[in-house]
Amino acid sequence: MGRLIRSSLASIFLALMVFIALTPILWTILGSFKRLKDIVTPVPKLFFSPTLENFVTILQNPSIRQGLGHSVIVVGAAVIIGAILGVPAAYSLARHVRALKDDMQFFVLSLRFMPPVAIAIPFIVLYLDLGLYDTLAGLILVYLVTTISTVIWLSVPAFERVPKEIEEAAAMEGCGPGEIFLKFALPIAMPSLFGALVFTFVLVWNELLLALTLAAGNATLPVVAASITSLGKEVPWGVINASTVILVIPPLVFIGLLMSFINGMMKPARR
Amino acid sequence: MNNRRFLFWTLTPGFAVLATLALISIAGALYFSVMDRSLRYSDYHFAGLYNYQRLLSDRRFLNALQISAIWEVVTVAGALVVATLLSVLIFETVKSFWLRNLICFAFLAPVLLPRVAAAFIWRFLYSPSLGLINYLVGLTGLGPVEFLADPSLALMSVAIVDIWQWGLFFTVIMLKLLETLPKDPIEAAQLDHAKTWEIHAYVTLPMLKAPIISLALVKAVESLRSFDLIYVMTGGGPGTATETLDLYAYQAGINLGGRISYASAMSILLLVLTTIVFTLIWKGIRKWAV
Repeated sequence: MGRLIRSSLASIFLALMVFIALTPILWTILGSFKRLKDIVTPVPKLFFSPTLENFVTILQNPSIRQGLGHSVIVVGAAVIIGAILGVPAAYSLARHVRALKDDMQFFVLSLRFMPPVAIAIPFIVLYLDLGLYDTLAGLILVYLVTTISTVIWLSVPAFERVPKEIEEAAAMEGCGPGEIFLKFALPIAMPSLFGALVFTFVLVWNELLLALTLAAGNATLPVVAASITSLGKEVPWGVINASTVILVIPPLVFIGLLMSFINGMMKPARR
Repeated sequence: MNNRRFLFWTLTPGFAVLATLALISIAGALYFSVMDRSLRYSDYHFAGLYNYQRLLSDRRFLNALQISAIWEVVTVAGALVVATLLSVLIFETVKSFWLRNLICFAFLAPVLLPRVAAAFIWRFLYSPSLGLINYLVGLTGLGPVEFLADPSLALMSVAIVDIWQWGLFFTVIMLKLLETLPKDPIEAAQLDHAKTWEIHAYVTLPMLKAPIISLALVKAVESLRSFDLIYVMTGGGPGTATETLDLYAYQAGINLGGRISYASAMSILLLVLTTIVFTLIWKGIRKWAV
């Protein structure tokens, strides 16, 4: 009997935690379809006549449309360049570097210790002098620190999981290191590498501080969203909810991928 | 292509870009920190250690240092405690595979949200007049709570959002780690009539010591990036109750007349502090966890 009570208590508690995990997000999605009069009520409304007004306002707002475009360009370029430079480096680290491997990996990780302000402030001055201030190219360059280091950090274990025998067999057949990398290691490691790229994408897509300080004139989506609060006196909660929903959609699309990435990372490495 | 050339062409471009960018920002910050540069004037002069001296007697800086330290401890400890308790609970009570996966999906959603979005979502929930949380608080008979405007509550209210994102994410990872553990030690402990909590406290969690420490380190590094959340939710306020170091450096370097040099000195101190602490922890873990 005591066991039954305890297990049902545990179920109720877990259900409550799932509720806490999801309600804030669902509530915001609900709020994005509400008129302001349905939001500003003493008792929160679960039922109301939905409207698309907020999304229309958002999508007609030129700064948000531009922000979306800027975000796609900056994040896309930074992640692609990060992958082109980071993935081969990770492969060499995983397979060919022995003596310096730990130090090089630590260097990559230590870039993540750097407070973003410490990157932002010198680059403001430098970019002002070089004429790169408020440009997308400048922002992409700074984001490369995040993308290259994250790609390397997450791809090394992915390549270490590739069975060594396959690469050794290819080497016996006379394949050079470049050929082994492109024809064997890369395709086998691809699923985990894709997870690493998605994770990198989410990191940069969500970034605010560097975008705010280095390219406020060509604002990315987080910067535009952060500035909506200061539109006039009345807080446009419906519009804020709608822009939050738009900001949230791209990363949330990847939730299934993140899940399989975690599952893959947790499997013991094949030797 | 021979081995050495392959090594050179794969490693050099990536590491060169990383090293250059890191060097530029560190050297730049060091250089400006001993000048008196501000964005308002284009000329500047050597100022020696003046900026550093002023920092040490700047009460707002010392306050920000303290807030940052509290933020680190609360968010790291909070995320790990939540993750440990929840993952053990799920591991013990939810046996069905698809139900576990469903819970994991729900717990992964918050961490994927952009911090700016999470900040807005919770500002809306915390709102005294129209927020869901204050409605629930109101049902219990207590008046509206000013979660973000009350200096004694604001930092904790923001920290809860951070723990909501990372604690639930780490729960999923810890659950997966628990699932990978071998069954024999657990069964042996069950034969000795160990209670469930004893099995986890003395058998499974000690076996996961190394990954849990890595999680703590990852969280500590990510907690340094609190700017987005705090900037949108409170902007450092009320007063300076939630002003962490990166927020103050941003305010000083960009908003308050662009005192670039002063903010540079601040970021150098921050950089030295985090690098020393994390390097020590990292090297310590490697020795201890093996």
